[in-house]
Amino acid sequence: MLLPEFELHEPVSIEDALKLKKKHGKDARLMAGGTDVLVLLKKKVIFTDTIISLLQIKELSQIKESGNEVVIGACATMAQLSKSSVIKEKFGALKSSCDNLGSHLIRNRATIGGNCCNASPAGDTMPSLMIYDAKVMIESTDGKREVSIKNFFKGPGVTDLAIHEILTGFKLPIPPKNSGAHYIQLGKRRSSEINVVNVGSFLEYDPDTKTIINSRIALGSVAATPIRAQKAEELIKGKPAKEDTFYTAGETARKEDCKPIDDFRGSAAYRQAMIGVLTKRTLQASFEQAQ
Amino acid sequence: MKKIINLTINDQAYEIAVVPNKTLADMLRYDLNLTGTKKGCDTGDCGACTVILNGDAVNSCLILAVQTDGAVIETIEGLATDEGLHPIQEAFVEKGAIQCGFCSPGMIMSTKNLLDKNANPTEEEIREGISGNLCRCTGYQKIFEAIDSQKS
Amino acid sequence: MKEFNTIRTRANRLDSPDKATGEAIYVDDISKPGMLFGALLQSPHAHAKVLSIDTTEAKKLPGVKAVLTSKDVGTIPYGVSPARYDETVFVTDKVRYVGDEIAAVAATSLDIALKAVELIRVEYEILPAVFTVEDAIKEDAPQIHEKYKGNLTAEVHQEFGDVEKGLKESDIIKTTTVKNKRQDGAFLEMQGCIAEFDRRGNLTLTSGTQTPHYVQRTVAMVLGMDIGKVRVKKPYLGAGFGIKAAANPMELACCFLAKETNKPVKMNYTREQVFMFCRARHQFTHTITTGAKKDGTLVALKHECTLDGGAYSSFGIATVYYAGSLLAGPYKLPNMSYEGFRVYNNKPACGAQRGHGAVIARAAFEQQLDMIAEELGIDPMELRIKNMMSRGDTTCNDLNMSSFGMSECIDAVREGSDWDRKKGNMPIGKGIGMACGFFVSGAGFPIYRSDTYHGTVMIKLTEDGGTALVYTASAEIGQGSDTAFAMIAAEALGVPLSAIRLASGDTDMGVDLGAYSSRQTLMTGHATKDAAEHVKSQVLAVLAEKLDTPVEDMDIKNGFIEFKNQTLDFSELRTTYIKEHRGWIDNPDSEKLTFNEASRIAYLEKGTIVGTGKYKPVFLGGKYKGAAVGTSPAYGCSAQVAEVTVDMGTGQVIIDNVTDAHDCGKAINMTSVEGQMEGSVSMGMGEAMHEEVIFDDKGNVLNNDLAEYKLVTAMDMPKVKSIVVESDEPNGPFGAKEVGEGAIMPTIPAILNAVYDAAGVRIYELPLTPERVYTAIQEYKERKGAA
Repeated sequence: MLLPEFELHEPVSIEDALKLKKKHGKDARLMAGGTDVLVLLKKKVIFTDTIISLLQIKELSQIKESGNEVVIGACATMAQLSKSSVIKEKFGALKSSCDNLGSHLIRNRATIGGNCCNASPAGDTMPSLMIYDAKVMIESTDGKREVSIKNFFKGPGVTDLAIHEILTGFKLPIPPKNSGAHYIQLGKRRSSEINVVNVGSFLEYDPDTKTIINSRIALGSVAATPIRAQKAEELIKGKPAKEDTFYTAGETARKEDCKPIDDFRGSAAYRQAMIGVLTKRTLQASFEQAQ
Repeated sequence: MKKIINLTINDQAYEIAVVPNKTLADMLRYDLNLTGTKKGCDTGDCGACTVILNGDAVNSCLILAVQTDGAVIETIEGLATDEGLHPIQEAFVEKGAIQCGFCSPGMIMSTKNLLDKNANPTEEEIREGISGNLCRCTGYQKIFEAIDSQKS
Repeated sequence: MKEFNTIRTRANRLDSPDKATGEAIYVDDISKPGMLFGALLQSPHAHAKVLSIDTTEAKKLPGVKAVLTSKDVGTIPYGVSPARYDETVFVTDKVRYVGDEIAAVAATSLDIALKAVELIRVEYEILPAVFTVEDAIKEDAPQIHEKYKGNLTAEVHQEFGDVEKGLKESDIIKTTTVKNKRQDGAFLEMQGCIAEFDRRGNLTLTSGTQTPHYVQRTVAMVLGMDIGKVRVKKPYLGAGFGIKAAANPMELACCFLAKETNKPVKMNYTREQVFMFCRARHQFTHTITTGAKKDGTLVALKHECTLDGGAYSSFGIATVYYAGSLLAGPYKLPNMSYEGFRVYNNKPACGAQRGHGAVIARAAFEQQLDMIAEELGIDPMELRIKNMMSRGDTTCNDLNMSSFGMSECIDAVREGSDWDRKKGNMPIGKGIGMACGFFVSGAGFPIYRSDTYHGTVMIKLTEDGGTALVYTASAEIGQGSDTAFAMIAAEALGVPLSAIRLASGDTDMGVDLGAYSSRQTLMTGHATKDAAEHVKSQVLAVLAEKLDTPVEDMDIKNGFIEFKNQTLDFSELRTTYIKEHRGWIDNPDSEKLTFNEASRIAYLEKGTIVGTGKYKPVFLGGKYKGAAVGTSPAYGCSAQVAEVTVDMGTGQVIIDNVTDAHDCGKAINMTSVEGQMEGSVSMGMGEAMHEEVIFDDKGNVLNNDLAEYKLVTAMDMPKVKSIVVESDEPNGPFGAKEVGEGAIMPTIPAILNAVYDAAGVRIYELPLTPERVYTAIQEYKERKGAA
């Protein structure tokens, strides 16, 4: 398979990248690890004559802990995140997302920014970013802005990014004490899988009252974008942290929070059923971790 | 337009002019005649084109050659020496881990990268370490055995 | 027991060092001076009339050297079986599937060739298309081939014994319908080829094929050339599994492009084109009724099957026969009937894949055996042993089990898996299951009707006497056949393996029908042994004369001549040899005469010593229609136990362990036999668990890559305990028979039976996706709730 002809730009600073993006507008395609963009170009799913690679911008691949948050550069790879001590220790569900994406070879190249900008409803890192309440850091020549990850995805392949903007990273608040999070992906095999359903949950509980203070549940592959299971989240707030509650959350997420479709990877009915099962399981695991 | 890049492949320095839309796999195979790196899909799904790029195993079919300017690359051709096969290659031969052989160069490069990073992998880590290298012939058993025999 | 020196060992494969270093050359690694690159124009429609083809713009593109359509290359029909030559290189009147070949381009670069393909203008008139068996057999269905009415490629009606009577006499009758999904071969190396003509008009096609011989014949026929002017060479091959066992349109187009341009032309399929071309396992729907006595004795089997064939026949006629004939064993079954229908539709053609025709029938039947065993309260292994055929038995359809280690295989997996302790004692969600199977060790007849030898081998000794060169046209496709034949040659000649050099995969080296139907070990193996014995007899004859000793009193072993009379004086021969050997430092000083000395002496006496060997089976099988398919000189057989964990909440199934025993006769190379067994388990497991080619409603493959067509990865593969069971096959060389395909037979049903044991659900449709298993569990719960 051949790649189409294109011009490649490799800016070394965000400023240069933004200028290039402004200059080329919608004709230019941003590329990080290339594990999606190059495949789509080879398969003639997308077309472009200008590629702006972000790989030479060193600061975009950093993972920094500062104060009570962690800043992850858009070009941090799955392998890099998985090895990062702060991600391992404090963001276990995100690590598990990163470990599940593609294969070991893809994970050495695929980036978290690329995964989000690709905006597949089944993307691996997004539910985890959502349950950790990440903020998406966005820049353009006009300045910087941040948007909550839950408002970032607009449709399959569509995000909140304007044409001239670049996603530069994510800010994740360090999870509080007595909290836990868990991510489960369900597919047909154990590696190189495209998820049929994927769910992440975060749960904070009060050790004195054993009740749930706060929760976030994110569902993948059951809507046009990854979504939060808001009804389930609301329902369990203040409820005792125990199996019944997690079951109810699963049922609510299944019945009220998702609207999956049939495709060749799985039926809507199955996906919906699995939302119930996986929501319960991720909450249960989050709770065990929180203890 | 072609760009001149400088890189090191198997300890040898290269200066090559490449077009932007050429993958590393194609440059290795068709420009440098390093045909040990195979192409089984061209879309990053099979791992036959695995090379080690700056210390990480990657699908060379999903890397633009021009982006390897300054890189250090190891391919299957770099493993054997005048003394003979690399111990991993020896193990693959001895254990019967090779059938059609089309996945073998990539599989061996993933194995090398795995053992470079983790000299004593668990069974799960071995599986994980070659999870992107599909083999349709062997059922992986003898590959696991070969890798296991190379643990320190 | 016979003693062997080379076979039955774990010798390293001859080809593995080259493959481990990346030095092994596959088609796409080859480049020729002045080589052009070819590309195909393939139909975007599943069924359409081709009204016009305009190649003007394509031809104008700089760098384009040839654009060919059916107008240029003619319309000689070809295919696999001469009874159904239903393909032409390029379509003439209409396209029949998405991917049907319309034109081909050769240009100075692949980029230009692909651009030129896009410049070819084709006017289509879309025709109604059919994509399922059900739609294709409707009375008013669009007809895909004018010649084959009702969209039927072939139908089979067979009855052996009296099935109705048998069923009446049965105490227990089970009927089930089981269905799989279309598979893809998913070999790692995509098809590719290079064609070139020399200035004397001889064609060399270097191609990634399993069957150089059949490709040679097809190319010669379609290009209208003498077979002697067509040479087909197979370099190293990244596997085939049956899909590469016949000429493909790209090979033919490539030859025409080379002829037209007088340049070497290279062509490759992309992975997408591999899916488009397909020729892999059919989708089968089997309805099977089995009758048994209370004590578990099998009485009758009634079997109906439809095959979703695709647009052309390919191997389909053989497939539809195999689907029926290979249920007649390994159990004693006096009454069996079979109705088989192979149906055309507007999808890519299916063909042969590992376990040709028989895999899904086996899956259906072995599941039924477990259902019968359960109902009768008999252990599944006991039921099978009770009904098992014995060595020497013949099935109701005339398949003779000349060697048969089936019961030994069952014993081996029973012990190896700890079956007796586990069966019936596993918690909910954990299960264990088993199944058996068998397969031909080489088709009894060639694809075309002929008295041809199935394999010829030539062995030549080097003039110094040190090395035997083995020439075979057989195909090393990854299975290890080169090494097996070198080992057979070494064993038969009495020399160490290091004294053998072997070249294969080239039609110039002889006749060999190639790598399919698990035929090479037995058939090419025989021819190799025959050739080696011929060489040996010539060397010994010279010695006999020189030493005035009868041939019967001498032998060659381990590279030395063994004389019955151990004091025989051969010093004169040694002196002659050493005189011949001046300047060399490795003069022999052994107590025994070396093979090197003997064969040098033979050369001095006779000139180059060449031995030839050949093999064809004796006439096999019965006189009924279709008896040719399923007959074989021998049958390999196997038993497997699978252990699974079923996630009762999600339906996910994990295969925890597989214990696999296979009777391959005498194992030529133990490691290679295990490799075939383990590879079979992995392919069977993929088909059982997640492999399926999925189409949209226009006939396009939706999952045409290795991300969405899901092979087993290293993460999924269970531990496999492989147990080689060796019988002694009287019809095999040194007692050897097949392993490459028989070993896949029990995998799917063993998994299905284990899932039932774990979750209480019988699944009748593959693959066992989490969704399918989950749905079955839900239905089961509802049924239980209702009851």
